[in-house]
Amino acid sequence: MDKRKLKQGFAYFLLLYFALAIGFYFIGGEQLQFSSSDAVSQSPEAVSSVGELTQGTAVTESFTLSSDTLDKISLLFGTYGRDNTGSLLVRILDSEENVLFRQSIDVSKLSDNGLFDIRPDSPLISEKGKRLALEITSADGASGNAVTVLTGAPSDLGDTVLTVNGQTQPLVLCLTVYGSSRLLIGRFYFVFAAAVGLLLLLLFADALKKQKSGKSSLILNAVSAVVRYRFLLSQLVIRDFKAKYKRSVLGVVWSLLNPLITMMVQYVIFSRLFRSDIDNFPVYLLTGIVFFNFFSEATTMSLVSITSNASLITKVYVPKYIFPVSRALSSSINLLISMIPLLLVSIIMRTPITPAILLLPFGILCMIAFCTGLALMLSAFMVFFRDTQFLWNIMIMLWMYATPIFYPVSIIPDRFMVFYKLNPLYHFIRFNRIVILQGVSPEPRAYLYCLVFALGSLTVGTLIFKKVQDWFVINL
Amino acid sequence: MIDLTDVSMRFKLPRDKVNSLKEYAVRALRGELKFEEFWVLDGISLNISRGEVVGLVGRNGAGKSTLLKIIAGILKPTRGMVRTGGTVAPMLELGSGFDQDLTGRENIFLNGAILGYSKQFLLSKYDEIVAFSELQDFIHAPIRNYSSGMLMRLAFSIATVVNPEILIVDEILAVGDAAFQKKSRQRMAELMSGGTTVLFVSHSMEQIQELCSRVVWLEDGKVKMTGSAQEVCRAYAGN
Repeated sequence: MDKRKLKQGFAYFLLLYFALAIGFYFIGGEQLQFSSSDAVSQSPEAVSSVGELTQGTAVTESFTLSSDTLDKISLLFGTYGRDNTGSLLVRILDSEENVLFRQSIDVSKLSDNGLFDIRPDSPLISEKGKRLALEITSADGASGNAVTVLTGAPSDLGDTVLTVNGQTQPLVLCLTVYGSSRLLIGRFYFVFAAAVGLLLLLLFADALKKQKSGKSSLILNAVSAVVRYRFLLSQLVIRDFKAKYKRSVLGVVWSLLNPLITMMVQYVIFSRLFRSDIDNFPVYLLTGIVFFNFFSEATTMSLVSITSNASLITKVYVPKYIFPVSRALSSSINLLISMIPLLLVSIIMRTPITPAILLLPFGILCMIAFCTGLALMLSAFMVFFRDTQFLWNIMIMLWMYATPIFYPVSIIPDRFMVFYKLNPLYHFIRFNRIVILQGVSPEPRAYLYCLVFALGSLTVGTLIFKKVQDWFVINL
Repeated sequence: MIDLTDVSMRFKLPRDKVNSLKEYAVRALRGELKFEEFWVLDGISLNISRGEVVGLVGRNGAGKSTLLKIIAGILKPTRGMVRTGGTVAPMLELGSGFDQDLTGRENIFLNGAILGYSKQFLLSKYDEIVAFSELQDFIHAPIRNYSSGMLMRLAFSIATVVNPEILIVDEILAVGDAAFQKKSRQRMAELMSGGTTVLFVSHSMEQIQELCSRVVWLEDGKVKMTGSAQEVCRAYAGN
């Protein structure tokens, strides 16, 4: 192989890597820095109250923040069962009495024994262990026309202190604090990125050295295989694709119509069952359908890729992995086409399209790698046991029900979630849904899951395939 | 150029083919999984140098095709070493890899890619292939509409457009009608005289004597005799 070209290729790859690493830092945004928001303190059971919040009453609860941000405080109010008017002033202070946030609450909006969320526009960034105080004062409350905040005795008081007009109370407010923690990956992002970059550089340098001394290396073999069989691969993908729609009237339009029609049918049926639980159900449904269809098509098509090309494999020397890989890739083209209806429905449903959509290729690539690994495995099994294809049809059906395509994850009982999360498709579809539906980056752990399942499947598939491929010709 | 040392190929033939998991499990449990082992090739050592045209003769089942497949890299020998220096063009069966739904043009690229040609090469030789196959305008029609003669012409034209260093031929010297047969025979002769190392199988002693400089006679997986074309052919014919 041309050394200069190889060097050039490596250089481009590194450049691309660094460009992506920097781009990702900005797209990843908050999700890269902080974990998802969660309740960091528990509200006690309401047993009492601080009494009517009349003019001049100041209720202050100071507490220690056990997270790095404060996203929301949920507070339990009481209205004495009547309609009150007026307004309350809520402030969040730090230990130096600086006002971090203030909000005026319209008392008439409060309901009896109801939660009210005090939510800053953007999370208040603080740090773990910092003491904060929530202060509630009334501007115009009068006896008989005032609300109250409920109190209770928590199981673990900690260092939370409630004072009313300066007097320390035995109980504390019924409030829940929501916050998130700073992530290691966010703090050291550029260190991580640089370390991976350095690792790549070392691998490339090693490959170049090995090429010079004529030794073989994994990277060199992979690169030369890609260069050598690129044309054959592209021809096979084109063949699969053309052959699929060759004699149909609508042709490639079916790739657009199929997911849309499935979505409409399932929408009509399932919107009765789950509608209330899922925001933007059409897009939720279509995302699941499009990605699951890809999985099902790629695996069932590549399952027979070795056996159906038997006449070729026994007569011409071609690397056998080309067949399952090309099948998986031609299904990927189909997937890309069915992204069009997904995009259309998203726009129609007014789903906000944010820069996070640029993360979708990651989820898609992981899925393609996962399916390619399975394709290698299945096509190899198929040569030896022809029952594989019938078993696989059943597997696909079971797998469909084990994946949240048309139902919300919330219907799965908590005690089964551990097993449920072993399903790789759950992670791929979840990743893509967060990107499409919420328009933000998933949490860093989601990337890890996707990557591990994708590379794991690819590695296992390659190893199995490599081990048994010499027996194909005899068994075909 | 081609170097075979002690090449042996063992086939394990199950008494009856087990095609399903269940059958396999049942038989394995009963201990009925018996294989008949037999050696298709048994200790073949052969050395073919550059530019030689070597013929392979032998009865059906002597292992000729298996040997060709091993040299082409399609099969891996159970034992022994195969070394080939240079590009190998196997012509074991013409038109394997044609897709019935694609046009002639599309099939030229598909089949060419399967035979290992590069894109640039195919683009530069495309006109030559079409001209040789005499398909003219039919090249843009799906090949399912071709006659079998047209198909063979196209396949032959694609397969012989290269000048490989090693050519492996399994009885495909002449295809099509009389005129095309003459043309294809000429093309083969051209290929063989161009310094290409050729290994070919034929049952026609005339062809073998006409083309080969050396002949190898295989019987029951072993080399029974090797020598000049006339010598071996005489012995084989008298057998």
